[in-house]
Amino acid sequence: MKALSYFRMVWKTNKAFAIFTMALLASTQLLILNLVTTFDTQAIIASIVEQLPKNMQVFLKESFFSTLTFDGAAAFGYNHPMVIALIIVNAINIPARHISRELESGTLEVLLSHPVKRNMFITTLWASGIVLLFLITLSAFLSSILGVYLFHQLSADVVFKILEISLNMWLFSVLILSYSLMIASKSKGGGLTGSLSAMIAFVFYVVFLISQLWSTLDFLLPYNIFYYYEPQQIMLGRGHIGLDTLVLVGLSGLCFGFSVIFFNKRDIP
Amino acid sequence: MNSSSTKNKAIRVENLSKFYGKTLGVNNISFDVDPGEIFGFLGPNGAGKTTTIRLLLDLLKPDEGSITIFGKPLNEFSMEIRRHCGYLPGEFQAYKHLTGYQYLGLFADLRKSLNDDLSILLEKFQLSPRDLKRKTSQYSRGMMQKLGIVQAFLHKPKLVILDEPTSGLDPLMQEVFYALIFEKQMEGTTIFFSSHNLPEVEKLCSRLAIIRQGQIVSVESIESLKQKVGHVMEILLDGELPALEIEGADLISAMGNRYVFKIKGDLSKVLQKVSGLPLKDITITRPTLEKVFMEFYKTS
Repeated sequence: MKALSYFRMVWKTNKAFAIFTMALLASTQLLILNLVTTFDTQAIIASIVEQLPKNMQVFLKESFFSTLTFDGAAAFGYNHPMVIALIIVNAINIPARHISRELESGTLEVLLSHPVKRNMFITTLWASGIVLLFLITLSAFLSSILGVYLFHQLSADVVFKILEISLNMWLFSVLILSYSLMIASKSKGGGLTGSLSAMIAFVFYVVFLISQLWSTLDFLLPYNIFYYYEPQQIMLGRGHIGLDTLVLVGLSGLCFGFSVIFFNKRDIP
Repeated sequence: MNSSSTKNKAIRVENLSKFYGKTLGVNNISFDVDPGEIFGFLGPNGAGKTTTIRLLLDLLKPDEGSITIFGKPLNEFSMEIRRHCGYLPGEFQAYKHLTGYQYLGLFADLRKSLNDDLSILLEKFQLSPRDLKRKTSQYSRGMMQKLGIVQAFLHKPKLVILDEPTSGLDPLMQEVFYALIFEKQMEGTTIFFSSHNLPEVEKLCSRLAIIRQGQIVSVESIESLKQKVGHVMEILLDGELPALEIEGADLISAMGNRYVFKIKGDLSKVLQKVSGLPLKDITITRPTLEKVFMEFYKTS
Protein backbone atom coordinates (compact mmCIF):
# COMPACT_ATOMS: atom_id res chain seq x y z
CA MET A 1 0.00 0.00 0.00
CA LYS A 2 1.41 3.36 -0.99
CA ALA A 3 1.06 5.40 2.17
CA LEU A 4 1.51 8.74 0.43
CA SER A 5 -1.39 8.11 -1.99
CA TYR A 6 -3.62 7.16 0.91
CA PHE A 7 -2.53 10.17 2.94
CA ARG A 8 -3.35 12.42 -0.01
CA MET A 9 -6.85 10.93 -0.04
CA VAL A 10 -7.24 11.42 3.73
CA TRP A 11 -6.01 15.01 3.39
CA LYS A 12 -8.39 15.77 0.51
CA THR A 13 -11.31 14.39 2.49
CA ASN A 14 -10.52 16.24 5.71
CA LYS A 15 -8.74 19.36 4.52
CA ALA A 16 -11.72 21.74 4.66
CA PHE A 17 -12.32 21.22 8.37
CA ALA A 18 -8.61 20.95 9.16
CA ILE A 19 -7.88 24.29 7.44
CA PHE A 20 -10.85 25.86 9.23
CA THR A 21 -9.44 24.59 12.54
CA MET A 22 -5.97 25.90 11.70
CA ALA A 23 -7.35 29.33 10.80
CA LEU A 24 -9.51 29.47 13.93
CA LEU A 25 -6.68 28.33 16.20
CA ALA A 26 -4.30 30.88 14.71
CA SER A 27 -6.77 33.77 14.88
CA THR A 28 -7.89 32.85 18.44
CA GLN A 29 -4.29 32.84 19.56
CA LEU A 30 -3.53 36.18 17.95
CA LEU A 31 -6.75 37.70 19.30
CA ILE A 32 -6.10 36.56 22.87
CA LEU A 33 -2.53 37.91 22.78
CA ASN A 34 -3.78 41.17 21.32
CA LEU A 35 -6.42 41.51 24.08
CA VAL A 36 -3.93 40.83 26.86
CA THR A 37 -1.46 43.38 25.53
CA THR A 38 -4.07 46.04 24.71
CA PHE A 39 -6.33 46.02 27.82
CA ASP A 40 -5.73 45.55 31.50
CA THR A 41 -7.84 42.40 31.40
CA GLN A 42 -6.35 41.13 34.66
CA ALA A 43 -7.94 43.91 36.71
CA ILE A 44 -11.31 43.57 34.98
CA ILE A 45 -11.49 39.78 35.43
CA ALA A 46 -10.15 39.97 38.99
CA SER A 47 -13.05 42.18 40.08
CA ILE A 48 -15.54 39.72 38.55
CA VAL A 49 -13.86 36.69 40.11
CA GLU A 50 -14.05 38.32 43.56
CA GLN A 51 -17.87 38.04 43.37
CA LEU A 52 -17.80 34.25 42.91
CA PRO A 53 -17.95 31.52 45.62
CA LYS A 54 -14.64 30.51 47.24
CA ASN A 55 -14.12 27.15 45.50
CA MET A 56 -14.91 28.72 42.13
CA GLN A 57 -12.35 31.42 42.85
CA VAL A 58 -9.70 28.79 43.60
CA PHE A 59 -10.53 26.92 40.43
CA LEU A 60 -10.55 30.01 38.24
CA LYS A 61 -7.33 31.32 39.73
CA GLU A 62 -5.71 27.94 38.99
CA SER A 63 -6.95 27.45 35.49
CA PHE A 64 -7.97 30.83 34.17
CA PHE A 65 -6.66 33.79 36.16
CA SER A 66 -3.08 32.81 35.47
CA THR A 67 -3.78 33.15 31.76
CA LEU A 68 -4.22 36.88 32.10
CA THR A 69 -0.49 37.41 32.05
CA PHE A 70 1.00 37.50 28.55
CA ASP A 71 2.61 34.04 28.95
CA GLY A 72 -0.59 32.65 30.43
CA ALA A 73 -2.60 34.05 27.55
CA ALA A 74 -0.27 32.40 25.05
CA ALA A 75 -1.06 29.09 26.75
CA PHE A 76 -4.78 29.85 27.04
CA GLY A 77 -5.07 29.80 23.25
CA TYR A 78 -4.29 26.07 23.52
CA ASN A 79 -6.64 25.44 26.42
CA HIS A 80 -9.74 27.33 25.33
CA PRO A 81 -12.77 24.96 25.39
CA MET A 82 -13.55 25.83 21.77
CA VAL A 83 -9.99 24.96 20.73
CA ILE A 84 -10.11 21.69 22.66
CA ALA A 85 -13.48 20.86 21.07
CA LEU A 86 -12.14 21.54 17.57
CA ILE A 87 -9.08 19.39 18.12
CA ILE A 88 -11.21 16.55 19.47
CA VAL A 89 -13.62 16.77 16.54
CA ASN A 90 -10.71 16.64 14.07
CA ALA A 91 -9.16 13.66 15.84
CA ILE A 92 -12.44 11.72 16.05
CA ASN A 93 -13.47 12.58 12.51
CA ILE A 94 -10.60 10.70 10.86
CA PRO A 95 -11.37 7.14 12.03
CA ALA A 96 -15.12 7.82 12.10
CA ARG A 97 -15.03 8.90 8.48
CA HIS A 98 -12.42 6.52 7.07
CA ILE A 99 -13.56 3.38 8.82
CA SER A 100 -17.12 3.65 10.07
CA ARG A 101 -18.64 5.80 7.34
CA GLU A 102 -16.63 4.05 4.64
CA LEU A 103 -17.93 0.72 5.89
CA GLU A 104 -21.44 2.03 5.36
CA SER A 105 -20.79 3.54 1.93
CA GLY A 106 -18.87 0.46 0.74
CA THR A 107 -15.69 2.34 -0.21
CA LEU A 108 -13.67 0.51 2.45
CA GLU A 109 -14.91 -2.79 1.05
CA VAL A 110 -13.53 -1.87 -2.38
CA LEU A 111 -10.25 -0.65 -0.88
CA LEU A 112 -9.71 -3.87 1.08
CA SER A 113 -10.58 -6.02 -1.93
CA HIS A 114 -7.30 -4.67 -3.34
CA PRO A 115 -3.94 -6.13 -2.26
CA VAL A 116 -3.87 -4.08 0.93
CA LYS A 117 -2.87 -5.66 4.23
CA ARG A 118 -5.28 -4.74 6.96
CA ASN A 119 -2.55 -3.83 9.44
CA MET A 120 -0.92 -1.68 6.74
CA PHE A 121 -4.21 0.08 6.17
CA ILE A 122 -4.82 0.80 9.85
CA THR A 123 -1.22 1.93 10.34
CA THR A 124 -1.42 4.23 7.32
CA LEU A 125 -4.71 5.69 8.52
CA TRP A 126 -3.28 6.25 12.00
CA ALA A 127 -0.12 7.83 10.57
CA SER A 128 -2.20 10.02 8.24
CA GLY A 129 -4.24 11.20 11.22
CA ILE A 130 -1.09 11.92 13.20
CA VAL A 131 0.33 13.99 10.33
CA LEU A 132 -2.95 15.89 9.92
CA LEU A 133 -3.07 16.65 13.66
CA PHE A 134 0.58 17.68 13.49
CA LEU A 135 -0.28 20.24 10.79
CA ILE A 136 -3.07 21.63 12.97
CA THR A 137 -0.69 21.83 15.95
CA LEU A 138 1.93 23.44 13.76
CA SER A 139 -0.49 26.22 12.85
CA ALA A 140 -1.14 26.84 16.57
CA PHE A 141 2.60 26.85 17.25
CA LEU A 142 3.43 29.22 14.41
CA SER A 143 0.60 31.63 15.25
CA SER A 144 1.71 31.67 18.90
CA ILE A 145 5.28 32.46 17.91
CA LEU A 146 4.02 35.11 15.51
CA GLY A 147 1.83 36.65 18.23
CA VAL A 148 4.63 36.64 20.76
CA TYR A 149 6.91 38.23 18.16
CA LEU A 150 4.35 40.87 17.10
CA PHE A 151 3.74 41.91 20.70
CA HIS A 152 7.46 42.10 21.45
CA GLN A 153 7.59 39.28 24.01
CA LEU A 154 9.78 36.88 22.06
CA SER A 155 12.39 35.06 24.11
CA ALA A 156 14.04 31.66 23.96
CA ASP A 157 12.22 30.56 27.12
CA VAL A 158 8.78 31.45 25.70
CA VAL A 159 9.55 29.73 22.39
CA PHE A 160 10.69 26.61 24.23
CA LYS A 161 7.57 26.58 26.40
CA ILE A 162 5.29 27.06 23.39
CA LEU A 163 7.12 24.18 21.73
CA GLU A 164 6.46 21.99 24.80
CA ILE A 165 2.79 23.03 24.87
CA SER A 166 2.45 22.27 21.17
CA LEU A 167 3.98 18.83 21.70
CA ASN A 168 1.54 18.28 24.57
CA MET A 169 -1.42 19.31 22.42
CA TRP A 170 -0.31 17.14 19.51
CA LEU A 171 0.14 14.04 21.69
CA PHE A 172 -3.17 14.68 23.40
CA SER A 173 -4.95 14.87 20.04
CA VAL A 174 -3.12 11.70 18.94
CA LEU A 175 -4.54 9.92 22.00
CA ILE A 176 -8.07 11.01 21.05
CA LEU A 177 -7.37 9.81 17.49
CA SER A 178 -6.03 6.48 18.77
CA TYR A 179 -8.93 5.58 21.03
CA SER A 180 -11.39 6.66 18.31
CA LEU A 181 -9.50 4.39 15.91
CA MET A 182 -9.83 1.54 18.40
CA ILE A 183 -13.58 2.11 18.67
CA ALA A 184 -13.95 2.36 14.88
CA SER A 185 -11.95 -0.87 14.40
CA LYS A 186 -14.42 -2.75 16.53
CA SER A 187 -17.73 -0.98 15.95
CA LYS A 188 -20.32 -1.90 13.35
CA GLY A 189 -22.41 1.24 13.12
CA GLY A 190 -21.25 4.39 11.36
CA GLY A 191 -22.52 6.94 13.84
CA LEU A 192 -21.38 4.92 16.84
CA THR A 193 -17.67 5.74 16.51
CA GLY A 194 -18.22 9.47 16.43
CA SER A 195 -20.78 9.64 19.21
CA LEU A 196 -19.05 7.15 21.51
CA SER A 197 -15.62 8.77 21.08
CA ALA A 198 -17.07 12.25 21.66
CA MET A 199 -18.98 11.01 24.70
CA ILE A 200 -15.80 9.52 26.21
CA ALA A 201 -13.96 12.84 25.73
CA PHE A 202 -16.90 14.77 27.18
CA VAL A 203 -17.19 12.51 30.25
CA PHE A 204 -13.43 12.81 30.88
CA TYR A 205 -13.68 16.60 30.55
CA VAL A 206 -16.65 16.94 32.91
CA VAL A 207 -15.07 14.60 35.48
CA PHE A 208 -11.82 16.57 35.16
CA LEU A 209 -13.59 19.88 35.85
CA ILE A 210 -15.54 18.42 38.81
CA SER A 211 -12.39 16.80 40.22
CA GLN A 212 -10.66 20.18 40.08
CA LEU A 213 -13.55 21.90 41.83
CA TRP A 214 -14.26 19.24 44.45
CA SER A 215 -11.26 18.12 46.46
CA THR A 216 -12.96 14.83 47.46
CA LEU A 217 -12.66 13.71 43.86
CA ASP A 218 -9.17 14.96 43.15
CA PHE A 219 -7.82 11.40 43.52
CA LEU A 220 -9.45 10.80 40.09
CA LEU A 221 -7.26 13.35 38.34
CA PRO A 222 -4.32 11.04 37.46
CA TYR A 223 -6.81 8.65 35.81
CA ASN A 224 -8.14 11.37 33.54
CA ILE A 225 -6.69 12.06 30.08
CA PHE A 226 -7.17 15.83 30.51
CA TYR A 227 -4.83 15.72 33.49
CA TYR A 228 -2.01 15.06 31.00
CA TYR A 229 -2.95 18.02 28.83
CA GLU A 230 -1.75 21.10 30.71
CA PRO A 231 -0.71 24.04 28.54
CA GLN A 232 -1.03 26.62 31.30
CA GLN A 233 0.92 24.60 33.84
CA ILE A 234 3.69 24.08 31.32
CA MET A 235 3.77 27.81 30.52
CA LEU A 236 3.94 28.66 34.21
CA GLY A 237 6.77 26.17 34.69
CA ARG A 238 4.63 23.89 36.88
CA GLY A 239 3.93 21.24 34.26
CA HIS A 240 5.35 17.73 34.01
CA ILE A 241 5.84 17.39 30.27
CA GLY A 242 7.92 14.21 30.66
CA LEU A 243 5.14 12.34 32.46
CA ASP A 244 2.49 13.80 30.14
CA THR A 245 4.43 12.61 27.10
CA LEU A 246 4.99 9.17 28.57
CA VAL A 247 1.32 8.66 29.45
CA LEU A 248 -0.07 10.08 26.21
CA VAL A 249 2.36 8.13 24.01
CA GLY A 250 1.86 4.95 26.05
CA LEU A 251 -1.94 5.12 25.92
CA SER A 252 -1.92 6.02 22.21
CA GLY A 253 0.35 3.06 21.47
CA LEU A 254 -1.90 0.75 23.47
CA CYS A 255 -5.04 1.94 21.71
CA PHE A 256 -3.31 1.60 18.34
CA GLY A 257 -2.20 -1.94 19.20
CA PHE A 258 -5.78 -2.90 20.04
CA SER A 259 -6.98 -1.20 16.83
CA VAL A 260 -4.68 -3.44 14.76
CA ILE A 261 -5.88 -6.57 16.58
CA PHE A 262 -9.57 -5.65 16.29
CA PHE A 263 -9.34 -4.59 12.67
CA ASN A 264 -7.47 -7.72 11.59
CA LYS A 265 -10.12 -9.92 13.17
CA ARG A 266 -13.23 -8.05 12.10
CA ASP A 267 -15.58 -8.72 9.22
CA ILE A 268 -15.90 -6.10 6.48
CA PRO A 269 -18.46 -4.69 6.77
CA MET B 1 -11.07 -33.45 -3.12
CA ASN B 2 -7.65 -34.15 -4.69
CA SER B 3 -5.12 -31.37 -4.98
CA SER B 4 -4.67 -31.60 -8.75
CA SER B 5 -8.36 -30.95 -9.39
CA THR B 6 -8.21 -28.04 -6.94
CA LYS B 7 -5.27 -26.56 -8.82
CA ASN B 8 -7.22 -26.70 -12.08
CA LYS B 9 -10.04 -24.59 -10.72
CA ALA B 10 -10.20 -20.82 -10.63
CA ILE B 11 -12.39 -20.94 -7.52
CA ARG B 12 -13.12 -23.89 -5.27
CA VAL B 13 -15.45 -23.41 -2.33
CA GLU B 14 -15.86 -26.33 0.04
CA ASN B 15 -18.36 -26.65 2.90
CA LEU B 16 -18.28 -22.96 3.57
CA SER B 17 -20.35 -21.57 6.43
CA LYS B 18 -20.72 -18.09 7.80
CA PHE B 19 -23.01 -16.95 10.57
CA TYR B 20 -23.50 -13.42 11.89
CA GLY B 21 -24.08 -14.32 15.50
CA LYS B 22 -27.17 -16.50 15.26
CA THR B 23 -28.16 -15.17 11.84
CA LEU B 24 -27.34 -17.38 8.90
CA GLY B 25 -25.14 -15.98 6.17
CA VAL B 26 -24.32 -19.11 4.21
CA ASN B 27 -24.45 -22.70 5.38
CA ASN B 28 -22.22 -25.48 4.08
CA ILE B 29 -21.97 -24.26 0.48
CA SER B 30 -19.72 -25.86 -2.09
CA PHE B 31 -19.12 -25.07 -5.74
CA ASP B 32 -16.28 -24.50 -8.13
CA VAL B 33 -15.56 -22.27 -11.10
CA ASP B 34 -13.35 -23.18 -14.04
CA PRO B 35 -10.65 -20.84 -15.33
CA GLY B 36 -11.97 -18.58 -18.08
CA GLU B 37 -15.57 -19.37 -17.19
CA ILE B 38 -18.36 -16.83 -16.78
CA PHE B 39 -20.10 -18.17 -13.73
CA GLY B 40 -23.47 -16.84 -12.64
CA PHE B 41 -24.56 -16.61 -9.05
CA LEU B 42 -28.28 -16.24 -8.54
CA GLY B 43 -30.52 -15.80 -5.59
CA PRO B 44 -33.08 -13.40 -4.15
CA ASN B 45 -32.19 -10.66 -1.69
CA GLY B 46 -30.83 -12.01 1.57
CA ALA B 47 -30.07 -15.45 0.12
CA GLY B 48 -26.33 -15.16 0.83
CA LYS B 49 -24.91 -13.86 -2.47
CA THR B 50 -23.08 -10.86 -1.01
CA THR B 51 -21.86 -12.92 1.95
CA THR B 52 -20.35 -15.45 -0.48
CA ILE B 53 -18.71 -12.68 -2.52
CA ARG B 54 -17.23 -11.09 0.62
CA LEU B 55 -15.95 -14.47 1.75
CA LEU B 56 -14.28 -14.92 -1.66
CA LEU B 57 -12.49 -11.59 -1.18
CA ASP B 58 -11.40 -12.38 2.38
CA LEU B 59 -13.48 -9.48 3.66
CA LEU B 60 -15.41 -11.88 5.88
CA LYS B 61 -13.82 -14.66 7.88
CA PRO B 62 -15.61 -18.01 7.43
CA ASP B 63 -16.78 -20.00 10.44
CA GLU B 64 -16.18 -23.26 8.61
CA GLY B 65 -14.98 -24.53 5.26
CA SER B 66 -12.34 -23.44 2.83
CA ILE B 67 -11.85 -21.33 -0.28
CA THR B 68 -9.15 -22.01 -2.82
CA ILE B 69 -8.50 -19.55 -5.62
CA PHE B 70 -6.16 -20.49 -8.47
CA GLY B 71 -5.07 -23.46 -6.40
CA LYS B 72 -4.07 -21.42 -3.37
CA PRO B 73 -5.91 -21.36 -0.05
CA LEU B 74 -7.37 -17.90 0.48
CA ASN B 75 -6.61 -17.78 4.20
CA GLU B 76 -2.88 -18.19 3.49
CA PHE B 77 -2.44 -16.31 0.21
CA SER B 78 -5.02 -13.56 0.59
CA MET B 79 -2.76 -10.71 -0.57
CA GLU B 80 -1.42 -12.60 -3.57
CA ILE B 81 -4.89 -13.71 -4.62
CA ARG B 82 -6.36 -10.21 -4.26
CA ARG B 83 -3.54 -8.91 -6.45
CA HIS B 84 -5.14 -10.87 -9.31
CA CYS B 85 -8.76 -10.05 -8.47
CA GLY B 86 -10.99 -7.23 -9.58
CA TYR B 87 -14.17 -6.45 -7.70
CA LEU B 88 -17.24 -4.40 -8.37
CA PRO B 89 -19.67 -4.36 -5.44
CA GLY B 90 -23.40 -3.82 -5.73
CA GLU B 91 -24.28 -0.12 -5.46
CA PHE B 92 -20.69 0.92 -6.05
CA GLN B 93 -19.58 4.19 -4.42
CA ALA B 94 -16.31 6.07 -4.94
CA TYR B 95 -14.59 8.55 -2.63
CA LYS B 96 -16.71 11.66 -3.04
CA HIS B 97 -13.88 14.13 -2.49
CA LEU B 98 -11.78 12.72 -5.31
CA THR B 99 -12.09 13.28 -9.04
CA GLY B 100 -12.43 10.27 -11.33
CA TYR B 101 -8.75 10.56 -12.26
CA GLN B 102 -7.68 10.78 -8.62
CA TYR B 103 -9.82 7.78 -7.73
CA LEU B 104 -8.38 5.59 -10.49
CA GLY B 105 -4.89 6.93 -9.68
CA LEU B 106 -5.27 5.94 -6.03
CA PHE B 107 -6.11 2.36 -6.92
CA ALA B 108 -3.44 2.16 -9.61
CA ASP B 109 -0.99 3.26 -6.91
CA LEU B 110 -2.30 0.68 -4.43
CA ARG B 111 -1.94 -2.06 -7.00
CA LYS B 112 1.35 -0.68 -8.28
CA SER B 113 0.14 -1.63 -11.73
CA LEU B 114 -1.92 -0.11 -14.46
CA ASN B 115 -3.74 -1.57 -17.42
CA ASP B 116 -2.07 -0.51 -20.66
CA ASP B 117 -5.53 -0.47 -22.18
CA LEU B 118 -6.92 1.97 -19.62
CA SER B 119 -7.53 4.66 -22.22
CA ILE B 120 -9.37 2.12 -24.41
CA LEU B 121 -11.44 1.06 -21.40
CA LEU B 122 -12.29 4.68 -20.61
CA GLU B 123 -13.19 5.33 -24.22
CA LYS B 124 -15.41 2.24 -24.37
CA PHE B 125 -17.39 3.42 -21.39
CA GLN B 126 -17.42 7.00 -22.65
CA LEU B 127 -15.63 8.42 -19.63
CA SER B 128 -14.11 11.53 -21.12
CA PRO B 129 -11.16 13.47 -19.61
CA ARG B 130 -13.71 16.16 -18.72
CA ASP B 131 -15.80 13.64 -16.76
CA LEU B 132 -12.74 12.28 -15.00
CA LYS B 133 -11.67 15.75 -13.89
CA ARG B 134 -14.95 16.16 -12.01
CA LYS B 135 -15.40 15.07 -8.42
CA THR B 136 -17.20 11.73 -8.18
CA SER B 137 -19.82 13.34 -5.94
CA GLN B 138 -21.11 15.01 -9.12
CA TYR B 139 -21.43 11.70 -10.99
CA SER B 140 -24.77 10.23 -11.99
CA ARG B 141 -25.57 6.64 -10.99
CA GLY B 142 -24.56 5.40 -14.43
CA MET B 143 -21.28 7.34 -14.45
CA MET B 144 -20.44 5.98 -11.03
CA GLN B 145 -21.12 2.43 -12.22
CA LYS B 146 -18.90 2.93 -15.27
CA LEU B 147 -16.10 4.19 -13.03
CA GLY B 148 -16.60 1.10 -10.86
CA ILE B 149 -16.32 -1.21 -13.86
CA VAL B 150 -13.12 0.51 -15.02
CA GLN B 151 -11.77 0.24 -11.46
CA ALA B 152 -12.47 -3.50 -11.43
CA PHE B 153 -10.64 -4.09 -14.72
CA LEU B 154 -7.88 -1.54 -14.06
CA HIS B 155 -5.06 -4.05 -13.61
CA LYS B 156 -5.95 -6.88 -16.05
CA PRO B 157 -7.23 -9.20 -13.30
CA LYS B 158 -7.30 -12.99 -13.70
CA LEU B 159 -10.54 -13.17 -11.72
CA VAL B 160 -13.27 -10.53 -11.65
CA ILE B 161 -16.09 -10.63 -9.13
CA LEU B 162 -19.06 -8.56 -10.18
CA ASP B 163 -22.17 -7.87 -8.12
CA GLU B 164 -25.05 -6.41 -10.15
CA PRO B 165 -22.60 -4.85 -12.63
CA THR B 166 -25.13 -3.38 -15.04
CA SER B 167 -27.40 -1.67 -12.53
CA GLY B 168 -27.61 1.99 -13.50
CA LEU B 169 -26.19 1.43 -17.00
CA ASP B 170 -28.26 2.40 -20.02
CA PRO B 171 -28.95 -0.35 -22.63
CA LEU B 172 -26.16 0.96 -24.86
CA MET B 173 -23.59 0.76 -22.06
CA GLN B 174 -24.94 -2.65 -21.05
CA GLU B 175 -24.05 -3.91 -24.53
CA VAL B 176 -20.57 -2.39 -24.19
CA PHE B 177 -20.23 -4.16 -20.86
CA TYR B 178 -21.33 -7.53 -22.31
CA ALA B 179 -18.79 -7.13 -25.11
CA LEU B 180 -16.09 -6.40 -22.54
CA ILE B 181 -17.01 -9.50 -20.54
CA PHE B 182 -16.77 -11.73 -23.63
CA GLU B 183 -13.50 -10.06 -24.64
CA LYS B 184 -12.04 -10.69 -21.19
CA GLN B 185 -13.24 -14.27 -21.27
CA MET B 186 -11.41 -14.74 -24.56
CA GLU B 187 -8.28 -13.46 -22.83
CA GLY B 188 -8.73 -16.12 -20.14
CA THR B 189 -10.23 -14.01 -17.35
CA THR B 190 -12.59 -15.82 -15.00
CA ILE B 191 -15.77 -13.91 -14.24
CA PHE B 192 -17.89 -14.52 -11.15
CA PHE B 193 -21.14 -12.80 -11.85
CA SER B 194 -23.96 -12.10 -9.45
CA SER B 195 -27.08 -10.52 -10.85
CA HIS B 196 -30.83 -10.22 -10.53
CA ASN B 197 -31.08 -9.55 -14.23
CA LEU B 198 -31.86 -13.07 -15.45
CA PRO B 199 -31.84 -12.43 -19.22
CA GLU B 200 -28.36 -10.95 -18.67
CA VAL B 201 -27.18 -14.04 -16.78
CA GLU B 202 -28.64 -16.23 -19.52
CA LYS B 203 -26.83 -14.23 -22.15
CA LEU B 204 -23.44 -14.21 -20.44
CA CYS B 205 -23.02 -17.23 -18.21
CA SER B 206 -22.26 -20.79 -19.13
CA ARG B 207 -22.95 -22.20 -15.65
CA LEU B 208 -24.63 -20.89 -12.60
CA ALA B 209 -25.23 -21.58 -8.96
CA ILE B 210 -28.55 -20.86 -7.33
CA ILE B 211 -28.46 -19.97 -3.68
CA ARG B 212 -31.48 -19.99 -1.41
CA GLN B 213 -31.60 -19.22 2.29
CA GLY B 214 -27.83 -19.56 2.56
CA GLN B 215 -27.62 -22.89 0.78
CA ILE B 216 -26.68 -23.79 -2.77
CA VAL B 217 -29.65 -25.53 -4.34
CA SER B 218 -28.16 -26.06 -7.77
CA VAL B 219 -24.89 -25.70 -9.66
CA GLU B 220 -25.38 -26.51 -13.31
CA SER B 221 -25.10 -25.27 -16.84
CA ILE B 222 -28.02 -23.15 -17.94
CA GLU B 223 -28.89 -25.74 -20.59
CA SER B 224 -29.17 -28.60 -18.11
CA LEU B 225 -31.18 -26.42 -15.77
CA LYS B 226 -33.59 -25.69 -18.56
CA GLN B 227 -33.79 -29.35 -19.41
CA LYS B 228 -34.69 -30.12 -15.83
CA VAL B 229 -37.57 -27.73 -16.02
CA GLY B 230 -38.47 -29.10 -19.47
CA HIS B 231 -40.67 -27.70 -22.24
CA VAL B 232 -44.03 -26.04 -22.16
CA MET B 233 -46.48 -27.34 -24.75
CA GLU B 234 -49.67 -25.52 -25.60
CA ILE B 235 -52.19 -27.32 -27.80
CA LEU B 236 -55.44 -26.18 -29.33
CA LEU B 237 -57.80 -29.04 -30.16
CA ASP B 238 -60.70 -29.23 -32.49
CA GLY B 239 -63.26 -29.61 -29.71
CA GLU B 240 -63.03 -30.30 -26.01
CA LEU B 241 -61.96 -33.63 -24.52
CA PRO B 242 -63.42 -34.56 -21.11
CA ALA B 243 -60.23 -35.94 -19.56
CA LEU B 244 -57.12 -35.34 -21.57
CA GLU B 245 -54.09 -37.21 -20.30
CA ILE B 246 -50.79 -37.51 -22.17
CA GLU B 247 -48.13 -39.86 -20.90
CA GLY B 248 -44.88 -37.98 -20.10
CA ALA B 249 -46.60 -34.59 -19.86
CA ASP B 250 -48.21 -32.86 -16.89
CA LEU B 251 -51.32 -30.81 -17.48
CA ILE B 252 -50.84 -27.32 -16.10
CA SER B 253 -54.01 -25.65 -17.28
CA ALA B 254 -57.03 -26.25 -19.47
CA MET B 255 -59.31 -23.56 -20.77
CA GLY B 256 -61.96 -24.65 -23.25
CA ASN B 257 -60.16 -26.56 -25.97
CA ARG B 258 -56.76 -24.99 -25.10
CA TYR B 259 -54.45 -27.14 -22.96
CA VAL B 260 -51.05 -26.33 -21.49
CA PHE B 261 -48.65 -29.14 -20.50
CA LYS B 262 -45.24 -29.29 -19.01
CA ILE B 263 -42.94 -31.90 -20.54
CA LYS B 264 -39.96 -33.03 -18.55
CA GLY B 265 -39.09 -36.25 -20.32
CA ASP B 266 -38.53 -37.21 -23.93
CA LEU B 267 -40.18 -34.69 -26.19
CA SER B 268 -40.47 -37.00 -29.23
CA LYS B 269 -42.52 -39.60 -27.32
CA VAL B 270 -44.98 -36.96 -26.21
CA LEU B 271 -45.24 -35.60 -29.74
CA GLN B 272 -46.06 -39.07 -31.02
CA LYS B 273 -48.93 -39.24 -28.55
CA VAL B 274 -50.16 -35.77 -29.40
CA SER B 275 -50.15 -36.50 -33.13
CA GLY B 276 -53.14 -38.81 -32.58
CA LEU B 277 -55.26 -35.96 -31.22
CA PRO B 278 -57.49 -33.62 -33.29
CA LEU B 279 -54.94 -30.81 -33.30
CA LYS B 280 -55.72 -27.30 -34.52
CA ASP B 281 -52.52 -25.69 -33.27
CA ILE B 282 -49.46 -26.57 -31.18
CA THR B 283 -46.72 -24.40 -29.62
CA ILE B 284 -43.69 -25.79 -27.81
CA THR B 285 -41.44 -23.36 -25.94
CA ARG B 286 -38.23 -23.67 -23.93
CA PRO B 287 -38.52 -21.85 -20.62
CA THR B 288 -36.51 -18.69 -20.08
CA LEU B 289 -34.03 -18.60 -17.23
CA GLU B 290 -36.52 -16.45 -15.38
CA LYS B 291 -39.08 -19.26 -15.51
CA VAL B 292 -36.42 -21.81 -14.53
CA PHE B 293 -35.44 -19.65 -11.60
CA MET B 294 -39.03 -19.21 -10.44
CA GLU B 295 -39.65 -22.93 -10.89
CA PHE B 296 -36.60 -23.71 -8.80
CA TYR B 297 -37.71 -21.46 -6.04
CA LYS B 298 -41.19 -22.92 -5.98
CA THR B 299 -40.02 -26.50 -5.85
CA SER B 300 -36.85 -26.42 -3.73
